[in-house]
Amino acid sequence: MTFMGFVLALCAVASGIGVIGFRNPLYSAFSLVANLMTMAGLYALLDAHFLAVSQIVVYAGAIMVLVLFVLMLLNLKVEGGPKLGVVRATIALGAGVLILMTAVQPIFRHFEGMSAINLRENAARTVGDVASIGEQLFGRYLVQFELSSLVLLIGIVGAVMLAKRKSATLAPRDGYQGAKEV
Amino acid sequence: MFELFVLLIKVFVVMNLALVLASLCTWLERKGSALIQDRVGANRAGAFIESDKWFLKPALPLVRMMGWLGVINTLVCDSLKGLAKEDFTPEGTSKFLHAVAPIIAVLPILLAFAVLPFAPDFTLFGYHIQAQVARIDAGLLFVLAMGSVAVYGVAIAGWTGNNKFSLLGSLRAAAQMISYELPMGLVFVALIVVFGSLDIYTIVERQGELLWGFVPQWGIVMQPVGFVILLLAGMAETKRGPFDLPEAESELAAGYFTEYSGMKFLLFWLGEFAEIGLFAMLLALLFFGGWHIPWVTLPEGVWWAAVLGHVVLMVKVVFFCVLQIVIRWTLPRFRYDHLMNLGWKMLLPLSLINLIGTAVVKVAL
Repeated sequence: MTFMGFVLALCAVASGIGVIGFRNPLYSAFSLVANLMTMAGLYALLDAHFLAVSQIVVYAGAIMVLVLFVLMLLNLKVEGGPKLGVVRATIALGAGVLILMTAVQPIFRHFEGMSAINLRENAARTVGDVASIGEQLFGRYLVQFELSSLVLLIGIVGAVMLAKRKSATLAPRDGYQGAKEV
Repeated sequence: MFELFVLLIKVFVVMNLALVLASLCTWLERKGSALIQDRVGANRAGAFIESDKWFLKPALPLVRMMGWLGVINTLVCDSLKGLAKEDFTPEGTSKFLHAVAPIIAVLPILLAFAVLPFAPDFTLFGYHIQAQVARIDAGLLFVLAMGSVAVYGVAIAGWTGNNKFSLLGSLRAAAQMISYELPMGLVFVALIVVFGSLDIYTIVERQGELLWGFVPQWGIVMQPVGFVILLLAGMAETKRGPFDLPEAESELAAGYFTEYSGMKFLLFWLGEFAEIGLFAMLLALLFFGGWHIPWVTLPEGVWWAAVLGHVVLMVKVVFFCVLQIVIRWTLPRFRYDHLMNLGWKMLLPLSLINLIGTAVVKVAL
Protein backbone atom coordinates (compact mmCIF):
# COMPACT_ATOMS: atom_id res chain seq x y z
CA MET A 1 0.00 0.00 0.00
CA THR A 2 2.72 2.43 1.05
CA PHE A 3 4.78 1.41 -1.98
CA MET A 4 1.82 2.07 -4.29
CA GLY A 5 1.36 5.42 -2.58
CA PHE A 6 4.96 6.40 -3.32
CA VAL A 7 4.67 5.31 -6.95
CA LEU A 8 1.48 7.33 -7.38
CA ALA A 9 2.99 10.36 -5.62
CA LEU A 10 6.00 10.21 -7.92
CA CYS A 11 3.73 10.00 -10.97
CA ALA A 12 1.70 12.93 -9.62
CA VAL A 13 4.81 15.10 -9.24
CA ALA A 14 6.15 14.07 -12.66
CA SER A 15 2.86 14.81 -14.41
CA GLY A 16 2.56 18.07 -12.46
CA ILE A 17 5.96 19.15 -13.81
CA GLY A 18 4.73 18.05 -17.22
CA VAL A 19 1.77 20.41 -16.99
CA ILE A 20 4.03 23.46 -16.72
CA GLY A 21 7.01 22.00 -18.59
CA PHE A 22 5.59 21.09 -21.99
CA ARG A 23 5.67 23.71 -24.74
CA ASN A 24 2.71 22.12 -26.52
CA PRO A 25 -0.50 23.08 -24.66
CA LEU A 26 -2.12 19.78 -25.63
CA TYR A 27 0.64 17.80 -23.89
CA SER A 28 0.21 20.01 -20.83
CA ALA A 29 -3.50 19.16 -20.83
CA PHE A 30 -2.76 15.43 -21.08
CA SER A 31 -0.28 15.76 -18.21
CA LEU A 32 -2.97 17.44 -16.14
CA VAL A 33 -5.32 14.52 -16.89
CA ALA A 34 -2.60 12.11 -15.77
CA ASN A 35 -2.08 14.22 -12.64
CA LEU A 36 -5.79 14.13 -11.77
CA MET A 37 -5.83 10.37 -12.31
CA THR A 38 -2.89 9.78 -9.99
CA MET A 39 -4.54 11.97 -7.36
CA ALA A 40 -7.67 9.85 -7.71
CA GLY A 41 -5.46 6.81 -7.24
CA LEU A 42 -4.09 8.29 -4.01
CA TYR A 43 -7.63 8.93 -2.74
CA ALA A 44 -8.55 5.34 -3.58
CA LEU A 45 -5.50 4.11 -1.62
CA LEU A 46 -6.85 6.03 1.39
CA ASP A 47 -10.15 4.13 0.98
CA ALA A 48 -11.92 7.29 -0.17
CA HIS A 49 -13.47 5.51 -3.16
CA PHE A 50 -16.27 7.96 -3.65
CA LEU A 51 -13.89 10.91 -3.69
CA ALA A 52 -11.58 9.13 -6.13
CA VAL A 53 -14.38 8.22 -8.52
CA SER A 54 -15.98 11.65 -8.42
CA GLN A 55 -12.56 13.20 -9.08
CA ILE A 56 -12.37 11.12 -12.27
CA VAL A 57 -15.98 11.81 -13.27
CA VAL A 58 -15.89 15.56 -12.69
CA TYR A 59 -12.34 16.67 -13.45
CA ALA A 60 -10.80 14.05 -15.71
CA GLY A 61 -14.05 13.00 -17.35
CA ALA A 62 -15.85 16.28 -17.93
CA ILE A 63 -13.80 19.43 -17.38
CA MET A 64 -10.56 18.26 -18.98
CA VAL A 65 -12.43 16.82 -21.97
CA LEU A 66 -13.89 20.28 -22.57
CA VAL A 67 -10.42 21.86 -22.22
CA LEU A 68 -8.99 19.36 -24.70
CA PHE A 69 -11.94 19.97 -27.00
CA VAL A 70 -11.18 23.70 -27.10
CA LEU A 71 -7.42 23.15 -27.50
CA MET A 72 -8.00 20.80 -30.43
CA LEU A 73 -10.45 23.20 -32.08
CA LEU A 74 -8.03 26.14 -31.75
CA ASN A 75 -5.16 23.93 -32.97
CA LEU A 76 -2.55 26.03 -31.15
CA LYS A 77 0.99 26.03 -32.41
CA VAL A 78 3.88 25.23 -30.11
CA GLU A 79 4.85 28.42 -28.33
CA GLY A 80 8.44 29.64 -28.41
CA GLY A 81 8.22 31.03 -24.91
CA PRO A 82 10.03 34.07 -23.51
CA LYS A 83 13.78 34.02 -23.08
CA LEU A 84 14.77 34.44 -19.43
CA GLY A 85 18.01 36.11 -18.36
CA VAL A 86 20.01 34.71 -15.44
CA VAL A 87 18.90 37.47 -13.06
CA ARG A 88 15.22 37.13 -13.90
CA ALA A 89 15.41 33.36 -13.73
CA THR A 90 16.98 33.54 -10.26
CA ILE A 91 14.34 35.97 -9.04
CA ALA A 92 11.58 33.79 -10.47
CA LEU A 93 13.02 30.65 -8.88
CA GLY A 94 13.41 32.37 -5.49
CA ALA A 95 9.85 33.68 -5.58
CA GLY A 96 8.58 30.24 -6.57
CA VAL A 97 10.38 28.53 -3.68
CA LEU A 98 9.08 31.16 -1.23
CA ILE A 99 5.49 30.70 -2.38
CA LEU A 100 5.84 26.92 -2.23
CA MET A 101 7.21 27.09 1.31
CA THR A 102 4.41 29.33 2.57
CA ALA A 103 1.87 27.03 0.93
CA VAL A 104 3.36 23.78 2.21
CA GLN A 105 4.33 24.87 5.74
CA PRO A 106 0.79 24.91 7.24
CA ILE A 107 0.12 21.49 5.73
CA PHE A 108 3.22 20.07 7.38
CA ARG A 109 2.31 21.71 10.66
CA HIS A 110 -1.16 20.20 10.50
CA PHE A 111 0.12 16.68 9.96
CA GLU A 112 3.00 16.90 12.43
CA GLY A 113 3.49 13.66 14.33
CA MET A 114 1.32 11.64 11.97
CA SER A 115 3.07 9.00 9.91
CA ALA A 116 1.61 7.95 6.59
CA ILE A 117 0.14 4.80 8.07
CA ASN A 118 -1.58 6.34 11.05
CA LEU A 119 -2.81 9.09 8.72
CA ARG A 120 -4.52 6.35 6.80
CA GLU A 121 -6.03 4.95 9.97
CA ASN A 122 -7.23 8.40 10.98
CA ALA A 123 -8.74 9.32 7.64
CA ALA A 124 -9.93 6.01 6.29
CA ARG A 125 -13.47 4.70 6.58
CA THR A 126 -14.76 7.91 8.13
CA VAL A 127 -14.50 10.58 5.44
CA GLY A 128 -14.31 8.91 2.06
CA ASP A 129 -17.36 6.72 1.67
CA VAL A 130 -20.64 7.80 0.15
CA ALA A 131 -22.68 7.87 3.35
CA SER A 132 -20.32 10.06 5.37
CA ILE A 133 -19.76 12.54 2.53
CA GLY A 134 -23.53 12.70 2.00
CA GLU A 135 -24.12 13.35 5.70
CA GLN A 136 -21.54 16.14 5.73
CA LEU A 137 -22.82 17.76 2.52
CA PHE A 138 -26.52 17.59 3.33
CA GLY A 139 -26.18 18.12 7.05
CA ARG A 140 -23.39 20.27 8.39
CA TYR A 141 -22.48 22.06 5.16
CA LEU A 142 -25.93 22.24 3.56
CA VAL A 143 -26.02 26.05 3.24
CA GLN A 144 -22.51 26.26 1.79
CA PHE A 145 -23.32 23.40 -0.61
CA GLU A 146 -26.47 25.07 -1.88
CA LEU A 147 -24.73 28.47 -2.12
CA SER A 148 -21.93 26.98 -4.22
CA SER A 149 -24.48 25.42 -6.57
CA LEU A 150 -26.06 28.89 -6.86
CA VAL A 151 -22.66 30.36 -7.74
CA LEU A 152 -22.23 27.72 -10.44
CA LEU A 153 -25.70 28.49 -11.79
CA ILE A 154 -24.82 32.20 -11.97
CA GLY A 155 -21.64 31.27 -13.84
CA ILE A 156 -23.58 29.21 -16.38
CA VAL A 157 -26.19 31.92 -16.96
CA GLY A 158 -23.45 34.53 -17.29
CA ALA A 159 -21.55 32.45 -19.85
CA VAL A 160 -24.70 31.92 -21.90
CA MET A 161 -25.49 35.65 -21.76
CA LEU A 162 -22.00 36.62 -22.94
CA ALA A 163 -22.01 34.05 -25.73
CA LYS A 164 -25.48 35.08 -26.92
CA ARG A 165 -24.66 38.78 -27.03
CA LYS A 166 -21.54 38.17 -29.10
CA SER A 167 -23.22 35.95 -31.69
CA ALA A 168 -26.09 38.40 -32.08
CA THR A 169 -23.74 41.22 -33.15
CA LEU A 170 -22.05 39.04 -35.76
CA ALA A 171 -23.55 39.69 -39.18
CA PRO A 172 -24.67 36.49 -40.91
CA ARG A 173 -22.54 35.57 -43.91
CA ASP A 174 -24.21 35.86 -47.29
CA GLY A 175 -26.70 33.12 -47.90
CA TYR A 176 -26.16 31.49 -44.51
CA GLN A 177 -29.26 31.77 -42.38
CA GLY A 178 -27.94 29.92 -39.38
CA ALA A 179 -28.83 26.40 -38.33
CA LYS A 180 -32.54 25.83 -38.66
CA GLU A 181 -34.51 24.59 -35.71
CA VAL A 182 -35.99 21.18 -36.32
CA MET B 1 -2.04 -15.87 0.06
CA PHE B 2 -5.31 -17.65 -0.60
CA GLU B 3 -7.07 -14.32 -1.00
CA LEU B 4 -4.54 -13.13 -3.57
CA PHE B 5 -4.97 -16.42 -5.44
CA VAL B 6 -8.76 -16.02 -5.45
CA LEU B 7 -8.40 -12.41 -6.60
CA LEU B 8 -6.16 -13.45 -9.49
CA ILE B 9 -8.68 -16.10 -10.53
CA LYS B 10 -11.46 -13.52 -10.38
CA VAL B 11 -9.47 -11.08 -12.51
CA PHE B 12 -8.83 -13.89 -15.01
CA VAL B 13 -12.52 -14.80 -15.10
CA VAL B 14 -13.70 -11.21 -15.53
CA MET B 15 -11.09 -10.46 -18.23
CA ASN B 16 -12.19 -13.56 -20.09
CA LEU B 17 -15.81 -12.59 -19.62
CA ALA B 18 -15.16 -9.18 -21.21
CA LEU B 19 -13.12 -10.58 -24.08
CA VAL B 20 -15.47 -13.48 -24.77
CA LEU B 21 -18.42 -11.08 -24.79
CA ALA B 22 -16.46 -8.86 -27.20
CA SER B 23 -15.69 -11.72 -29.58
CA LEU B 24 -19.25 -13.01 -29.33
CA CYS B 25 -20.47 -9.54 -30.29
CA THR B 26 -17.99 -9.45 -33.18
CA TRP B 27 -19.37 -12.70 -34.52
CA LEU B 28 -22.98 -11.60 -33.89
CA GLU B 29 -22.24 -8.39 -35.76
CA ARG B 30 -20.75 -10.16 -38.79
CA LYS B 31 -23.27 -12.95 -39.09
CA GLY B 32 -26.22 -11.01 -37.66
CA SER B 33 -25.76 -8.12 -40.07
CA ALA B 34 -25.72 -10.64 -42.93
CA LEU B 35 -28.98 -12.13 -41.64
CA ILE B 36 -30.62 -8.73 -41.28
CA GLN B 37 -29.46 -7.57 -44.72
CA ASP B 38 -30.45 -10.88 -46.35
CA ARG B 39 -26.86 -11.81 -47.21
CA VAL B 40 -25.05 -15.05 -46.58
CA GLY B 41 -22.17 -13.56 -44.61
CA ALA B 42 -18.87 -15.16 -43.66
CA ASN B 43 -19.14 -18.91 -44.34
CA ARG B 44 -15.96 -20.01 -46.11
CA ALA B 45 -12.86 -20.01 -43.89
CA GLY B 46 -12.48 -23.48 -42.39
CA ALA B 47 -15.74 -24.80 -43.83
CA PHE B 48 -14.02 -27.29 -46.16
CA ILE B 49 -11.07 -28.19 -43.97
CA GLU B 50 -9.60 -31.67 -44.50
CA SER B 51 -6.93 -33.57 -42.63
CA ASP B 52 -5.46 -37.09 -42.66
CA LYS B 53 -4.06 -36.84 -39.14
CA TRP B 54 -5.94 -39.29 -36.93
CA PHE B 55 -5.94 -37.01 -33.88
CA LEU B 56 -7.56 -34.19 -35.82
CA LYS B 57 -10.30 -36.33 -37.37
CA PRO B 58 -12.83 -36.24 -34.50
CA ALA B 59 -12.64 -32.43 -34.30
CA LEU B 60 -13.13 -31.86 -38.03
CA PRO B 61 -16.97 -31.80 -38.14
CA LEU B 62 -17.01 -29.22 -35.34
CA VAL B 63 -14.37 -27.07 -37.08
CA ARG B 64 -16.29 -27.27 -40.37
CA MET B 65 -19.46 -26.23 -38.56
CA MET B 66 -17.60 -23.27 -37.00
CA GLY B 67 -16.25 -22.30 -40.40
CA TRP B 68 -19.67 -22.56 -41.99
CA LEU B 69 -21.09 -20.30 -39.25
CA GLY B 70 -18.33 -17.75 -39.82
CA VAL B 71 -16.80 -18.13 -36.37
CA ILE B 72 -13.33 -18.99 -37.72
CA ASN B 73 -13.48 -16.10 -40.16
CA THR B 74 -14.30 -13.50 -37.51
CA LEU B 75 -12.20 -14.79 -34.63
CA VAL B 76 -9.12 -16.36 -36.24
CA CYS B 77 -8.72 -14.87 -39.71
CA ASP B 78 -9.52 -11.28 -38.81
CA SER B 79 -7.20 -11.11 -35.81
CA LEU B 80 -4.35 -12.80 -37.73
CA LYS B 81 -4.89 -10.35 -40.57
CA GLY B 82 -4.72 -7.48 -38.07
CA LEU B 83 -1.40 -8.74 -36.71
CA ALA B 84 0.09 -9.24 -40.15
CA LYS B 85 -0.81 -5.85 -41.57
CA GLU B 86 1.50 -2.86 -41.83
CA ASP B 87 1.50 -0.70 -38.71
CA PHE B 88 1.10 2.78 -40.15
CA THR B 89 1.92 5.98 -38.24
CA PRO B 90 1.03 9.33 -39.79
CA GLU B 91 3.77 11.96 -40.03
CA GLY B 92 3.89 15.17 -38.05
CA THR B 93 2.26 13.90 -34.86
CA SER B 94 3.36 12.32 -31.66
CA LYS B 95 4.15 8.65 -32.28
CA PHE B 96 3.76 7.98 -28.58
CA LEU B 97 0.22 9.35 -28.37
CA HIS B 98 -0.69 7.59 -31.60
CA ALA B 99 0.36 4.27 -30.08
CA VAL B 100 -1.20 4.98 -26.68
CA ALA B 101 -4.64 6.09 -27.92
CA PRO B 102 -6.05 2.60 -28.73
CA ILE B 103 -4.90 1.37 -25.32
CA ILE B 104 -6.65 4.27 -23.57
CA ALA B 105 -9.76 3.48 -25.59
CA VAL B 106 -9.83 -0.17 -24.47
CA LEU B 107 -8.42 -0.13 -20.93
CA PRO B 108 -11.22 1.80 -19.14
CA ILE B 109 -13.85 -0.47 -20.65
CA LEU B 110 -12.08 -3.56 -19.35
CA LEU B 111 -11.51 -1.85 -15.98
CA ALA B 112 -15.22 -1.07 -15.67
CA PHE B 113 -15.92 -4.83 -15.61
CA ALA B 114 -14.05 -4.94 -12.29
CA VAL B 115 -16.99 -3.51 -10.33
CA LEU B 116 -19.67 -5.64 -12.03
CA PRO B 117 -20.61 -8.78 -10.08
CA PHE B 118 -20.93 -11.81 -12.35
CA ALA B 119 -22.65 -14.21 -9.92
CA PRO B 120 -24.09 -14.18 -6.39
CA ASP B 121 -21.65 -14.64 -3.50
CA PHE B 122 -20.92 -18.22 -2.52
CA THR B 123 -18.96 -20.28 -0.05
CA LEU B 124 -16.30 -22.69 -1.29
CA PHE B 125 -14.00 -24.78 0.95
CA GLY B 126 -15.21 -22.72 3.90
CA TYR B 127 -14.26 -19.42 2.27
CA HIS B 128 -16.80 -16.72 1.48
CA ILE B 129 -16.11 -15.66 -2.10
CA GLN B 130 -17.45 -12.49 -3.70
CA ALA B 131 -17.98 -13.01 -7.41
CA GLN B 132 -16.71 -9.51 -8.18
CA VAL B 133 -13.17 -8.17 -8.48
CA ALA B 134 -13.68 -4.94 -6.53
CA ARG B 135 -16.69 -4.30 -4.34
CA ILE B 136 -16.40 -0.55 -3.75
CA ASP B 137 -19.28 1.47 -2.36
CA ALA B 138 -19.28 3.81 -5.38
CA GLY B 139 -19.46 0.99 -7.93
CA LEU B 140 -22.12 2.53 -10.12
CA LEU B 141 -20.20 5.80 -10.30
CA PHE B 142 -17.02 3.92 -11.23
CA VAL B 143 -18.67 2.60 -14.40
CA LEU B 144 -19.65 6.16 -15.31
CA ALA B 145 -16.11 7.39 -14.60
CA MET B 146 -14.53 4.74 -16.80
CA GLY B 147 -16.98 5.57 -19.58
CA SER B 148 -15.91 9.20 -19.44
CA VAL B 149 -12.22 8.30 -19.40
CA ALA B 150 -12.68 6.25 -22.57
CA VAL B 151 -13.37 9.54 -24.37
CA TYR B 152 -9.66 10.33 -24.17
CA GLY B 153 -8.70 7.37 -26.34
CA VAL B 154 -11.02 8.63 -29.04
CA ALA B 155 -9.96 12.27 -28.66
CA ILE B 156 -6.24 11.47 -28.78
CA ALA B 157 -6.74 9.09 -31.71
CA GLY B 158 -8.51 11.78 -33.72
CA TRP B 159 -5.91 14.39 -32.90
CA THR B 160 -2.90 12.23 -33.76
CA GLY B 161 -4.53 11.32 -37.07
CA ASN B 162 -3.39 14.80 -38.12
CA ASN B 163 -6.14 15.31 -40.66
CA LYS B 164 -9.52 16.98 -40.71
CA PHE B 165 -11.61 13.80 -40.90
CA SER B 166 -10.00 12.31 -37.82
CA LEU B 167 -10.21 15.53 -35.84
CA LEU B 168 -13.86 16.10 -36.77
CA GLY B 169 -14.64 12.51 -35.82
CA SER B 170 -13.00 12.81 -32.43
CA LEU B 171 -14.66 16.17 -31.72
CA ARG B 172 -18.01 14.64 -32.58
CA ALA B 173 -17.27 11.66 -30.35
CA ALA B 174 -16.23 13.84 -27.41
CA ALA B 175 -19.30 16.08 -27.72
CA GLN B 176 -21.62 13.11 -28.10
CA MET B 177 -20.18 11.15 -25.20
CA ILE B 178 -20.28 14.13 -22.83
CA SER B 179 -23.86 14.95 -23.86
CA TYR B 180 -25.16 11.44 -23.28
CA GLU B 181 -23.26 10.95 -20.04
CA LEU B 182 -25.58 13.45 -18.32
CA PRO B 183 -28.87 11.56 -18.80
CA MET B 184 -27.01 8.34 -18.01
CA GLY B 185 -25.77 9.76 -14.72
CA LEU B 186 -29.25 11.02 -13.85
CA VAL B 187 -30.73 7.57 -14.50
CA PHE B 188 -28.10 6.13 -12.17
CA VAL B 189 -29.13 8.67 -9.52
CA ALA B 190 -32.79 7.65 -9.91
CA LEU B 191 -31.76 4.00 -9.51
CA ILE B 192 -29.81 4.91 -6.39
CA VAL B 193 -32.94 6.62 -5.02
CA VAL B 194 -35.02 3.50 -5.69
CA PHE B 195 -32.61 0.90 -4.34
CA GLY B 196 -30.84 3.04 -1.74
CA SER B 197 -27.30 2.06 -2.67
CA LEU B 198 -24.48 2.83 -5.10
CA ASP B 199 -23.14 -0.68 -4.77
CA ILE B 200 -24.16 -2.78 -7.77
CA TYR B 201 -24.28 -6.01 -5.75
CA THR B 202 -26.74 -4.49 -3.28
CA ILE B 203 -28.85 -3.17 -6.15
CA VAL B 204 -29.03 -6.65 -7.69
CA GLU B 205 -29.85 -8.25 -4.35
CA ARG B 206 -32.67 -5.76 -3.76
CA GLN B 207 -34.14 -6.75 -7.13
CA GLY B 208 -34.68 -10.26 -5.83
CA GLU B 209 -37.39 -8.97 -3.49
CA LEU B 210 -41.05 -8.83 -4.42
CA LEU B 211 -43.04 -5.63 -4.75
CA TRP B 212 -46.49 -5.85 -3.06
CA GLY B 213 -45.79 -9.54 -2.63
CA PHE B 214 -46.13 -10.61 -6.27
CA VAL B 215 -44.23 -8.34 -8.71
CA PRO B 216 -40.47 -8.91 -8.92
CA GLN B 217 -38.77 -5.69 -7.88
CA TRP B 218 -36.69 -5.46 -11.05
CA GLY B 219 -35.28 -2.17 -12.29
CA ILE B 220 -37.50 -2.33 -15.37
CA VAL B 221 -40.57 -2.38 -13.11
CA MET B 222 -39.32 0.39 -10.82
CA GLN B 223 -37.71 2.57 -13.52
CA PRO B 224 -39.26 1.88 -16.96
CA VAL B 225 -38.41 5.37 -18.25
CA GLY B 226 -34.91 5.08 -16.84
CA PHE B 227 -34.39 1.85 -18.76
CA VAL B 228 -35.29 3.46 -22.10
CA ILE B 229 -33.03 6.45 -21.37
CA LEU B 230 -30.11 4.24 -20.34
CA LEU B 231 -30.53 2.03 -23.41
CA LEU B 232 -30.41 5.06 -25.73
CA ALA B 233 -27.60 6.79 -23.84
CA GLY B 234 -25.64 3.54 -23.68
CA MET B 235 -25.89 3.04 -27.41
CA ALA B 236 -24.72 6.63 -27.92
CA GLU B 237 -21.80 6.00 -25.55
CA THR B 238 -20.68 2.99 -27.56
CA LYS B 239 -20.73 5.24 -30.64
CA ARG B 240 -22.68 2.63 -32.55
CA GLY B 241 -25.95 2.04 -34.22
CA PRO B 242 -27.84 5.15 -35.18
CA PHE B 243 -25.31 7.12 -33.12
CA ASP B 244 -22.16 6.31 -35.12
CA LEU B 245 -21.51 9.86 -36.32
CA PRO B 246 -17.90 9.91 -35.04
CA GLU B 247 -17.05 7.28 -37.65
CA ALA B 248 -19.65 8.15 -40.28
CA GLU B 249 -17.99 6.56 -43.32
CA SER B 250 -20.00 8.53 -45.88
CA GLU B 251 -18.71 11.88 -44.60
CA LEU B 252 -15.57 11.31 -42.54
CA ALA B 253 -13.73 8.38 -44.18
CA ALA B 254 -13.59 6.36 -40.94
CA GLY B 255 -13.70 9.23 -38.45
CA TYR B 256 -11.32 9.19 -35.54
CA PHE B 257 -9.53 5.95 -36.48
CA THR B 258 -8.98 6.82 -40.13
CA GLU B 259 -5.20 6.68 -39.73
CA TYR B 260 -5.09 3.45 -37.77
CA SER B 261 -4.22 0.10 -39.26
CA GLY B 262 -3.43 -3.41 -38.18
CA MET B 263 -3.80 -4.40 -34.57
CA LYS B 264 -4.23 -0.81 -33.31
CA PHE B 265 -7.31 -0.52 -35.50
CA LEU B 266 -8.60 -3.81 -34.16
CA LEU B 267 -8.04 -2.57 -30.59
CA PHE B 268 -10.60 0.17 -31.20
CA TRP B 269 -13.05 -2.48 -32.36
CA LEU B 270 -12.25 -4.59 -29.34
CA GLY B 271 -13.03 -1.61 -27.12
CA GLU B 272 -16.28 -0.97 -28.94
CA PHE B 273 -17.46 -4.56 -28.72
CA ALA B 274 -16.35 -4.88 -25.10
CA GLU B 275 -18.40 -1.75 -24.43
CA ILE B 276 -21.47 -3.42 -25.97
CA GLY B 277 -20.89 -6.31 -23.58
CA LEU B 278 -20.41 -3.87 -20.70
CA PHE B 279 -23.69 -2.11 -21.38
CA ALA B 280 -25.53 -5.37 -21.90
CA MET B 281 -24.24 -6.52 -18.53
CA LEU B 282 -25.11 -3.20 -16.89
CA LEU B 283 -28.67 -3.34 -18.27
CA ALA B 284 -29.07 -6.94 -17.12
CA LEU B 285 -27.70 -6.19 -13.65
CA LEU B 286 -29.49 -2.90 -13.02
CA PHE B 287 -32.81 -3.41 -14.78
CA PHE B 288 -33.37 -7.14 -15.28
CA GLY B 289 -32.55 -8.54 -11.91
CA GLY B 290 -29.03 -9.79 -12.65
CA TRP B 291 -28.90 -13.46 -11.63
CA HIS B 292 -32.44 -13.55 -10.21
CA ILE B 293 -35.17 -15.65 -11.77
CA PRO B 294 -38.63 -14.16 -11.05
CA TRP B 295 -40.49 -15.92 -8.22
CA VAL B 296 -37.66 -18.40 -7.75
CA THR B 297 -35.46 -18.13 -4.68
CA LEU B 298 -32.16 -19.93 -4.97
CA PRO B 299 -30.38 -21.08 -1.81
CA GLU B 300 -27.81 -18.53 -0.68
CA GLY B 301 -24.10 -19.16 -0.68
CA VAL B 302 -24.12 -22.55 -2.44
CA TRP B 303 -21.70 -22.95 -5.34
CA TRP B 304 -24.22 -24.48 -7.75
CA ALA B 305 -26.61 -21.57 -7.10
CA ALA B 306 -23.77 -19.22 -8.06
CA VAL B 307 -23.12 -21.17 -11.27
CA LEU B 308 -26.81 -21.18 -12.12
CA GLY B 309 -27.00 -17.45 -11.32
CA HIS B 310 -24.08 -16.81 -13.64
CA VAL B 311 -25.78 -18.72 -16.45
CA VAL B 312 -29.04 -16.79 -15.92
CA LEU B 313 -27.12 -13.50 -15.96
CA MET B 314 -25.28 -14.46 -19.14
CA VAL B 315 -28.55 -15.34 -20.91
CA LYS B 316 -29.80 -11.83 -20.16
CA VAL B 317 -26.48 -10.26 -21.19
CA VAL B 318 -26.46 -12.08 -24.54
CA PHE B 319 -30.04 -10.98 -25.11
CA PHE B 320 -29.02 -7.33 -24.69
CA CYS B 321 -25.96 -7.80 -26.91
CA VAL B 322 -28.24 -9.13 -29.65
CA LEU B 323 -30.71 -6.31 -29.05
CA GLN B 324 -28.01 -3.65 -29.48
CA ILE B 325 -26.71 -5.26 -32.66
CA VAL B 326 -30.21 -5.58 -34.13
CA ILE B 327 -30.89 -1.89 -33.40
CA ARG B 328 -27.55 -0.94 -34.93
CA TRP B 329 -28.33 -2.74 -38.20
CA THR B 330 -31.96 -1.64 -38.36
CA LEU B 331 -31.98 2.12 -37.85
CA PRO B 332 -30.35 4.68 -40.17
CA ARG B 333 -27.77 7.14 -38.84
CA PHE B 334 -28.92 10.32 -37.08
CA ARG B 335 -28.22 13.78 -38.46
CA TYR B 336 -25.91 15.62 -36.09
CA ASP B 337 -28.41 18.24 -34.90
CA HIS B 338 -31.01 15.51 -34.36
CA LEU B 339 -28.48 13.71 -32.20
CA MET B 340 -27.82 16.78 -30.06
CA ASN B 341 -31.53 17.59 -29.85
CA LEU B 342 -32.30 14.07 -28.67
CA GLY B 343 -29.59 14.28 -26.03
CA TRP B 344 -30.16 17.75 -24.64
CA LYS B 345 -33.82 18.48 -25.37
CA MET B 346 -35.36 15.03 -24.95
CA LEU B 347 -33.29 12.69 -22.80
CA LEU B 348 -31.88 15.25 -20.34
CA PRO B 349 -35.25 16.84 -19.35
CA LEU B 350 -36.88 13.40 -19.38
CA SER B 351 -34.25 11.99 -17.04
CA LEU B 352 -34.57 15.04 -14.76
CA ILE B 353 -38.36 14.60 -14.60
CA ASN B 354 -37.84 10.89 -14.01
CA LEU B 355 -35.45 11.61 -11.16
CA ILE B 356 -37.75 14.16 -9.51
CA GLY B 357 -40.77 11.87 -9.95
CA THR B 358 -38.85 8.97 -8.44
CA ALA B 359 -37.77 11.08 -5.48
CA VAL B 360 -41.35 12.32 -4.90
CA VAL B 361 -42.75 8.78 -4.99
CA LYS B 362 -39.97 7.55 -2.71
CA VAL B 363 -40.66 10.29 -0.15
CA ALA B 364 -44.45 9.87 -0.41
CA LEU B 365 -44.33 6.11 0.21
